[in-house]
Order: sequence, then C-alpha cells, then structure tokens
Amino acid sequence: MTGSPVHATLDDRELLRRYHEGGDASAREALVQRHLPLVRSLARRYAGRGESLEDIEQVGAIGLIKAIDRYELSREVALTTYATPNVVGEIKRHFRDKGWAIRVPRALQELNGKMGPTIERLTARLGRSPSIAEIAKEFQTTPEQVLEAMEAGSAYAPQSLSAGPDGDSELDPMETIGAVDEEFARTDERTSLEPALELLPEREQLILKLRFEEGLTQTQIAEKIGISQMHVSRLIRRSLERMRAQLS
Amino acid sequence: MSDRIELTTPVGRAWDPVIRLVLGGIGDRLDLGFDELDDLQLAVERLLAEARLEDRVTLSFEILERSVRVRIGPILTGAVAEALQGPPSKPGELTLGRILQTVVDSYGVEKVEDGHMVVRLEKAVRRG
Repeated sequence: MTGSPVHATLDDRELLRRYHEGGDASAREALVQRHLPLVRSLARRYAGRGESLEDIEQVGAIGLIKAIDRYELSREVALTTYATPNVVGEIKRHFRDKGWAIRVPRALQELNGKMGPTIERLTARLGRSPSIAEIAKEFQTTPEQVLEAMEAGSAYAPQSLSAGPDGDSELDPMETIGAVDEEFARTDERTSLEPALELLPEREQLILKLRFEEGLTQTQIAEKIGISQMHVSRLIRRSLERMRAQLS
Repeated sequence: MSDRIELTTPVGRAWDPVIRLVLGGIGDRLDLGFDELDDLQLAVERLLAEARLEDRVTLSFEILERSVRVRIGPILTGAVAEALQGPPSKPGELTLGRILQTVVDSYGVEKVEDGHMVVRLEKAVRRG
C-alpha cells in the first residue's frame, strides 16, 4: 500500500491531520512512504558497522513510524525535523542494544563464517542437529572455540555511533535537531508481541509463524525457506527484538 | 544429588553473551544438539528481555537425569509473572508464553524460600 493519488497531492501537515484527527491509516502509510528516502539517507551513515544497510533501514523505519504516531499537531516544526532524531535514536538504540565491547579475533570471525554451511552439512549427514562437540570435531578445534565463534556472530567492535561513516567527528544529528528519543520504558501490559508482527518483512513473519504457530524446528524452516539454520536462528532473534522495540 | 551451577550477573544486554556462553558450555557437556541449545538460549534471552528483573539476576542450572532445569530470578511480580502462570496462549497469539511453550518442554513461576519469584524452564535432554 503506497497511499492514494489524492494523498500525493496533500502536504505532510494535512496528512498528519487526517491521520491523527480522522484516524486515516492510509494517510499514515502515505507519510511513511514519502519519508522513507530520509530513513535511507540516515541509515547510510551507520552502514559498515556490522549490520546490513537493509537491516538498519528497517530499524530506522520504525523510528519514522513512531515519529508520525507521536507527532502533535500543535507543533510548529516540520515532520522531517521531528522525525530525524527519532530515526537516528532508533538506529542508535539498535546498535547500543547489540553492542558488545570486544574485538572479535579474525580466527573466530572466520570460524563463524564457516559454521552455517558446516552445521547444514552435518545435519544432513547425521539426520539431526549436530552437537557442539560434533561441530568442533569437524573443524578440528575445541567446543569452547565453537561456542565463542557462535557468539562472535552477534558481536561487533563498537565505534562511537555519533561518528561519521569513517569514524570522523561529523556532527551528530541528535545534537543538531529536536529532542532526544524517549528511553526504553517497560510496562506491565506489554506481554503480547502480536501488534508489531505485521510491521516485519514477510519472510520474517513467515519464519515466526512456522516456528511458533506450526512448531517447525529451525532445521525444518531452513529447508523450507532455503537458508541456513544459523540464519533462521538470527532472523528469529532479530524479529523478536524488533517487535519488542516497536512496542516500546 | 543433581549437579548445579549458579551464575549471578548484572542485568543488561552487555551480559547476555556471558550467559549464552555458560549455557553453551552446559549444552556441550549434555551433548545437546545445536537446535536444542539454541532453543534454550532463546528462552533465557527472551525472559531476560521481557521479565521485570531487579538490577542483578541469578541463573541456576540444574543437571537432571533427562533434562536441564534453569531458574531465573528474582523477577518482580507483574504482568509477565501472571501471563506465565495463566492459561496457555491461544493459537495465533505470539506472547512470551507461546515462545516458551515452543522452545522448552515446561516452564512455570515459583516462589522461592526468601519469598522472591523465579521463572523455571526445563528442557529435555535426548541423548542417544
């Protein structure tokens, strides 16, 4: 859904009014589509830090949606001005939440890179998911190295997220525009992730459905979708995190 | 008497890798498959992310004959504890309860000796 041609002729303020006062969900969607280029532009600043650009853009889009939802019509500020710190805040929080203050040795990175195909091969050979010891034997290494390499998959060397793409001291958008995004606030009511499910990409929705509704194992999902078991594992975690962030 | 390992850590995402590594080491000793280990790690991660915890959390791992039992707490009483104590999630609902139902064999909320609440997870060990 990209909004009707009528929406294309309306300015941001009118679309925001239709959404907030009239409950017009298609006006909200039109605003999201209109400002995705802003999200892409901001996301590019955070590329090359261990996350794919596509992933960063998706996280940034959540910030955009939050900005549209929180925008107060009494504000004199343009939506782009208001949305920018929200998008940047969402991206920064994503990196901060994933942050792990270590540098991963190259040997572990390489081992991690080979892990997915090896687990797939062993699963096919054994007819079941391999144990850590079996994976270690395949690599002629220790189980501890395998566990550390698995962990390395979710680690990255943190740089200052306020720095530019090359680590320079380019001005942080958070310092130049608007207010800081609200901190994560837990509420007792947030026990269901359901409302955030539809905001996920279709493939991730399918994976969650196969895992948690149909009860397929990661191995079975990997076969069905045509990706590695490790990738299924990562996508499940990432999807659940995104849904939680969206609900916060 | 079953073997028991206890780990107390500050609460925060920076400590999740430490917990995953400990779980990985236990999974290796029990010969868990990669699938089963990943399920158990996911259960613990989701609980740490969703349950209301104090600033430190204690994880207790009990190695039983045919399963591994993990207790996590103390949790603050609230919707998460109530949701886990209530009826199972309905089909189509994606809740913490639904995730735990999928990835572990049993779970529940227990009151321990000092009056605190902890969440118990149990994962069967299917050794050849």
